[in-house]
Order: sequence, then structure tokens, then C-alpha cells
Amino acid sequence: MTKWILKGLATGIKTTAYPSVPETAPGVSPGRPGTTYFADKDMELIKHCPAKALFGKAGSVRVDYRRCIHCFQCTRTEGYPSIDWEDGFEWASLAGYPERDQVSITPLGRPFSRSVHIRIVDAGACGACMSEIAQLGKPYYNFHRLGLFVTPTPRKADILLAVGPLTDHMRLALQKTYEAMPSPRRVVAVGTCALSGGPFGPSFISGAGIHETIPVDFSVPGCPPPPLAVLHGLLLAAGRAEPVPLKSRDSARDNPGKEVR
Amino acid sequence: MHPESLVLLILALCGFGVFLSLILPDRFNRTVLALIGMLEAAAMLMAGAGLLLRGMSFHLSLWQFPTLGTLSIEGDALSGVFLSVTAIVLFAASLYATGQIKKYLGRYSIRRLAIYLHLLTASIVLILTAADALLFLLSWETMSILSYLLVNYEYEKKETPKAGLHMLAMSEVGTMAVAIAFLLLAKGGGGFEFSAMKATSAALSPAVRWTTFLLVFFGFGVKAGLFPVNSWLPRAYGVAPNVFTAILAGITLNLGIYGIIRLFPGLMPMNTPWPGLLMLITGSISAILGILYATKENNLKVLLAHSSIENAGIVIAAWGAGLVFLAQGHRIIAGMAFITSLYHMANHSLYKGLLFLGAGSVESGSGELDLDRLGGLIRRMPWTALFFLAGSLSIAALPPFNGFVSEWLTLQTLLQAPAINSLEIKVAFALCGAVLALTAGLAVTCFVKAFSMAFLGTARSGRARKAAEVPFTMRAPMGVLAFLCLLMGILPTYVIPTLDRAVSPMVHESVTQALVPPFFTPKETHEKLPENFIADFHDLGAQVGKDVLPGRGLVVLHRGGKKNPVVFAMSTSYTLAVLLLLLAGTYLAAKALSTGRVVRKRTAWDGGLRRLFSRMTYTATGFSNPVRVIFEAVFHPTETEDVKGESVVRHFRTAIIRERRETHIVERIFLVPVVSAMRSLSTLFARMHRGRVNLYAGYVLMCLVLALIFIKTLEILQ
Repeated sequence: MTKWILKGLATGIKTTAYPSVPETAPGVSPGRPGTTYFADKDMELIKHCPAKALFGKAGSVRVDYRRCIHCFQCTRTEGYPSIDWEDGFEWASLAGYPERDQVSITPLGRPFSRSVHIRIVDAGACGACMSEIAQLGKPYYNFHRLGLFVTPTPRKADILLAVGPLTDHMRLALQKTYEAMPSPRRVVAVGTCALSGGPFGPSFISGAGIHETIPVDFSVPGCPPPPLAVLHGLLLAAGRAEPVPLKSRDSARDNPGKEVR
Repeated sequence: MHPESLVLLILALCGFGVFLSLILPDRFNRTVLALIGMLEAAAMLMAGAGLLLRGMSFHLSLWQFPTLGTLSIEGDALSGVFLSVTAIVLFAASLYATGQIKKYLGRYSIRRLAIYLHLLTASIVLILTAADALLFLLSWETMSILSYLLVNYEYEKKETPKAGLHMLAMSEVGTMAVAIAFLLLAKGGGGFEFSAMKATSAALSPAVRWTTFLLVFFGFGVKAGLFPVNSWLPRAYGVAPNVFTAILAGITLNLGIYGIIRLFPGLMPMNTPWPGLLMLITGSISAILGILYATKENNLKVLLAHSSIENAGIVIAAWGAGLVFLAQGHRIIAGMAFITSLYHMANHSLYKGLLFLGAGSVESGSGELDLDRLGGLIRRMPWTALFFLAGSLSIAALPPFNGFVSEWLTLQTLLQAPAINSLEIKVAFALCGAVLALTAGLAVTCFVKAFSMAFLGTARSGRARKAAEVPFTMRAPMGVLAFLCLLMGILPTYVIPTLDRAVSPMVHESVTQALVPPFFTPKETHEKLPENFIADFHDLGAQVGKDVLPGRGLVVLHRGGKKNPVVFAMSTSYTLAVLLLLLAGTYLAAKALSTGRVVRKRTAWDGGLRRLFSRMTYTATGFSNPVRVIFEAVFHPTETEDVKGESVVRHFRTAIIRERRETHIVERIFLVPVVSAMRSLSTLFARMHRGRVNLYAGYVLMCLVLALIFIKTLEILQ
């Protein structure tokens, strides 16, 4: 045991300092296709996306992150101009569903700046998202240092963290959980499945995401999103982080010709 | 009226009650039993109050028993305490009986029940006022047999006769032991009168004293439910009629305690601390084992029965501590311990009577006593639930109810052990104190379980779902007892001086002064309270209510020397006021904070289940399982597994039957070896029975020859 203590003291603190210091460690994120959009006359690339995340608009190919499973198919398909692969992990944003009024979505705000309780519901996920979320409690990410806690009951929860495509069997449970939460409450949907049904839905066992049943406030795309992306989403919901604007998309819109190769 | 005429009045009322039961048709007996029972209780309460509060006493010769002596009755303050407690429980049980025994009409004879109960009352009064061993033993035996008959009342049930016979056998052994002890005492002195025994008991040899003590302690311990002789208690309580269970726990259990208390130190002063220490240790073991089995138990009545063992254990432990202090010459502390013991005895009678009546109501209302199959009764039986909650809070020793006062005083008394000058006894005191503290903690667990599993949550069976509230005549006695529990809890400063009247003749010292300082009347009393002491406590609020309330004060406080002016202090009366203020304040604050806000109401959180079946909810077994696992060494369960499979293909099992059996530790350790020894002995003797007349004639001849040889040898030796 002495050995452990000495080893621990010698190792020192390895916990990441995110968000006060930008995370620079390699491998914290698998990355995702950049938001570059480019002209593709035949729209052939779209057919190669197994998740149907690519779509054509005004002669350009764009990425729908609610569907993307970052499978690398779009960058590695031979004979087509490759899409940029973007590193980084601050992917969380306001959930952009057309049926939800964007203006009404606000973060929790000041009283929750140092203590937020989270209720996690696995609404039929494959397990990848849950394993990434589980990393948050471990020494490297350690989200308790930020005042984020998991609670076993929705009665004390401020944030509902939902993963999975929402199978029919979990629909009522998720709804009851949401109704049992006191306001103010925010819903963070984590993962491609929770946002759009992903590879599973809509199908005969599940719908096309959480938003069909309960209003989703914040979304964390990714399949699975890396732990820091989930952390970013939680901080966003707590009002302690800002959504990162999609720079490349804006720049691409400014000079679209540049992307065509 | 004078107590002696009241005692005679009770006996007359009992006779009248028996007479009425015999001549009236059975359908009237219910009402007549209740009316006469309440009259008896009222007379008994008046007699007890007269003996206790007004300090009266009497001595009355009843009958000259041929060749053996005079049967006489006598009353003093100690009898007064027990008579008053008995009267209260009897009153409640009699009133309760009108509603409760309705279900026996046409099935069992109510006449029989009424006659037994009246005779039982008479015998109890005679036990509590007996002035000689003869009358005491006669009434004790009557009481034992009547108890058996009452336990065996519902004789058609399968388990009743067995439990009844178990009880009868154990109490007869106890009575025999007590009778031998009385003979030993009578042999040393003038006769069967207690006063004569008292005069000569000091001259007895140590061996005789010890024998007497052990015989009396374990003989009376059978009725009081003490450790090695209590295996009958849970069984008998479990099968007795509900009215009688309250009487068993609230009255006859006290008789065992009364027997022990009357003899030690009253009749036979002990000059060594060891008997007291034995009582303390036995009491502590009873207490912890009682509460362990209570926590594990799922049948409400049996749970309460095990808890009675626990409470009797606490009473005896406190009394034993008092005897140790008395033998060591610490009279004040001994008096404190005795008062504590009597206080706890009275408390136990009140709340256990209440809880048994509550359990009876649960059974009447829902027809179910298994906690695993109850639940949610608070919505169907709100009054019963309220009174049962009061009883549970009392027995779990939570302020402001009465259990808190006596258990707190018990622990405080045990903490006075540094005054003793022997290291072994100090260690024993510390260990017993720890055991009793653990008992108090487990009692909370046990009664959280008892109340919540019966009354809260969802109904776990159809019967519990269709439960109905009991009629007023059954609710009222519970209400009375619950109110008395609260009263005994918030007015300890009035109860302690009253009990002191019974205790001070035994310790030859008044303890009131040591426990209840006269904060209300510092000028009038001759006892000295230092001025600055009063001033300090005045600032703390100890004199609030001085002009309104009579008595000495509302603070229980034991003063020490210069170094520690206050050894211990508390006041449940003021605690109650503070608690009420806090409750009201919290309510108002919540109200103020929630005004002007939208309140969203949704169903209770059920884990998101599609449908919450009552089967899925927490059961009593699940609640107490941690205790069961931790104390597995005590419970010592034996598990058997039986696999049912097809004979052709053995590996395909159709069912696995797993059975878990538990034998009560007392039966396992004490009763089973005795029974098996007796069995093997009788098998040995059975070999003599060959069935031939010639052989038996031979036995007779052999015996005769042996007897003659024996007598001749004696003659030669002399």
C-alpha cells in the first residue's frame, strides 16, 4: 500500500484542467467530418454514407451531425475528393429541431453554476455512449471537480442526460422521469441515436430520437461523443460554457469556390 | 374510599361478573364483560392512586387457612404502582373487548372468556396485594392456569394448543421454583408471612440466599420473559386472542417483574453486588436477543412479543444495576435506577398495550397480520395508524414520547458506574450499557419496519386493500393509551416524585431531590440550590411556567460535585414546546416560500415502471434483511435444498425447493438438549415395560426389599 501511495504522489495530478485550460492531450476525441461543403455534381459521395448523414443542398454536400457516426467512409472512399477531418470535441449546441422554439432554450443559469445534479437515462443505447459517460466520473475527467453529480432520482435532478434511440419500452420511463423532475430542468440528448435514432431508428422498436417524446434542449452529437464532448454539453446546459460556432462552415459559406477540388 | 375496601370491591365485582356471565345469554356477555371490567379497572386505579399518591397502606387478614397460616393482603406504594398500571391497561382492554370479541360470537363461548378474565383480574389483584407467600402462590398458580386457558381460547386453530401447553409447562416450572424458594425462606424464619420472612432473611447462609435468588429470579423470569426461559412467550403471544395479548404484555408480564422486585431488595436485602450483576447481564442479553428476533419477525403480534422480551430485559437490567449500586452503598444512584426501572415498566405496559390493541385492530380490519402482506393501511385505517404511530414512537424511544425518558435514564444510570469500586463490575456495566444502546438503535429499526410495512406504501394483498377502520369502541382505548404515552413522556418531573414514593422505602433515601431540582419553588423547599445555579438555569429557561404549573419544575437534572455541577439534564416538556415551534415555523416558512409559485403535481416517482405492482414494492423481509445477515450467527439458520428433476434425464430440473428454518436461540441452546435428554431417559425406562404381570409384581417386590434395606441402613447409621 505504501508503494501505491508513493507511486501516486510521484505521478501527481493527471486530471484534465478543461474547461479553464484548453485540452491539448492527443486522442481525447476521434474527430468528425469537417463542415466543409463543396460542390459535387453527381452527388455520388452521398450514396457512400451509410448513416445518411450527408445531404446535398444547392449543389453542395453538407454534413448532418445528428446522423453522422464518424465512420470515416466519406474521407476514405477512393476516387472522391475527401472531406476534411476535424479534431476537437466542443460539439454540443442548442438542439436545432424545427418544432422547438430556439429562443426559449436557455441554460440553467447562476444558481446552478457550482452544483448541478444529473439524472442519466439509458433509453436503449448500445452501450458506447454510456461507457463514454462513465469515463466522466473517473480520475482523468473527474466531473465532480466542476460540481456535476449523478443522482439516482429525478426528484433531485436538474439535467436529464438521455442516450439511446428511445426504444418503445423505454418511452414511458423517459417520460415519467422527465415529468418527475422539478423545474428548472434541461434535457441533454447525447449521441447520434438520441438525436435522430441513428443506425437503429426509426424502426419497429424505436423512434427517431428523444425529441419525439420530450423536448430536447441541448444536443451532443457523436457516435459515441467523447467524454469531453458530453462534459461540454453539461456545462452548456448549466450555463457555464458557450457553444462553439462552426467556423469552417461560415468560412466555407463566405467563399464556396475554395472547397471545390 | 380506602384502598382496602376498594380491593374487596374489586374482588366482589369479579365475583359479580362471573355470576352475571353464568346467568346471562351469551350475546350480552360482551357488553357486560366490558362494563364490569371497566368498573374493576376504575376501582383498581383508585386503590392504586390511594396507595401511591396519598401514601395510604393497609393490612387485612382474609382467611385462616387450616394448618398453614393466615391468608392476608397488604398494600403499599409498590403495589400501588403496579395496581395503577394494571388498571389502565385493563380499562383499555375491557373497552376494546366490546368490539373485538364480536367475531367469536357463535364460534367460541364468550361466557368462558368473560369468566376467565374476571377470575384473572381477581387473582392479579391478590398477587399484587398478597402479604404472605401462601396467598401469593395460590393466586400465582390461579393466574398461570387462567393465562393458559385464555391463550388456549381459540383452541380450534392448529398451533394454539401447542403454544398453550408450552406456556403452561414453562410457567409451572417457574411456579415450582418460586414455591421452593418460598419454602426455603419460610424454613429460616417464622412462617409464610412476608414480614416474618423479611425479619429472618438476613440470617440465612450465603448458599441458601444464592439458591433462593436463582430460584426466584428464573422462576419469575418465566413470566417476565427473561433470557433462558422465554421461548414460550412469542408463541403464546402469537396465538392468544387480541384482547388478551394486550393483557399478557401489559399486565401479566409485569407480575413476573413484580415478583422479582418485591423480593429483592424489599424482602431479602442483598449485601453482595453479584446477584444484581447477574440480573443486569441477563436483562441485557434478553433485551438484545428480544429486539434482534423482533426486527427479523414478520408477524406483527409475534414481533411485538419479541419486543416485550426486550423491554422486560431493560426493566430487569435497570433493576439489577440498582441492586449493584445498593449493595455498594450508593443509595441515591440505586434509587435512580429503581425509579428508571419502574418508569420503564409502566411505559412498556402503556405502549405495548397500545401496540397490541393496534395489532388487534389491524387483524380485525384487514384479517391479516403478516407484514409482508399488509401495507397502505394508513389510508383505510387512519385512526389506528395514528395511534400505532404514537406507540411506535414511544417504543422506539423518540422524544417527546415516554420511551425516551426511561431509556435515556437507564443509560444515564448505567453511566454512573465509575462510582463502583470494582473493576470487573465497571467493565460489565460498560458492556451492558453498550448492549442496551445497540438495543435502543435496533428498536428504532424494528418499529420503523413495523409501522411502515403495515401502514405505508401500497397494499400487498387483497385483504389489506379491502381493510376497514375499526369501530369507535376499539379506537377509543388506543387513543387513551396513546395520550397517556405522550403524557408520561412530557411530564417526567411529575412521574419521578410519584415513583419515588415506592422506591424510597427500599433505598431509605428520597431520590426526587437528586433528579428533579425545585426550579419552580426554590424558596419554599428546604433543599439548597445555589443562587448562581438557579440564575444560570433561569437564563436557559428552566423556570418558564413557574407561576402556572404546580410541582417542582420541568427539568430532570442530576447534580454532581463542584467539578461537574450537572451530571446529566434534560427536559422533554420544553423539548415538546421547541419541537412544536419548529414544526410550526417550518410549515409557515414552506407556506411563505411557495406562495405565488406554480405547483406542478405528478404521481409519485416509481422508477419509471410501466405499472407498479404492489408485489414489486419493498417488503418487511427485505427491510430487515441486513439485520438478518449481520446477526446470522445468532439466528443460525439451516438451509435445505431439494431438487426436483425428471428421473430419466436428471439434469433437467423441474423445480428447486429451498427451505430456510430458524430455531429460536433459547430453544436451540437450552430447550432442545433438555428435551432430548428426557427423551433418551424415558426410552431407557421404557425397556422395563415388557407387558408381563409377573415382571411388574417382581418390580414391586424388589422396590419393597430395597426400601427396607435403605431404612435399616439409616437406622444402623444413626
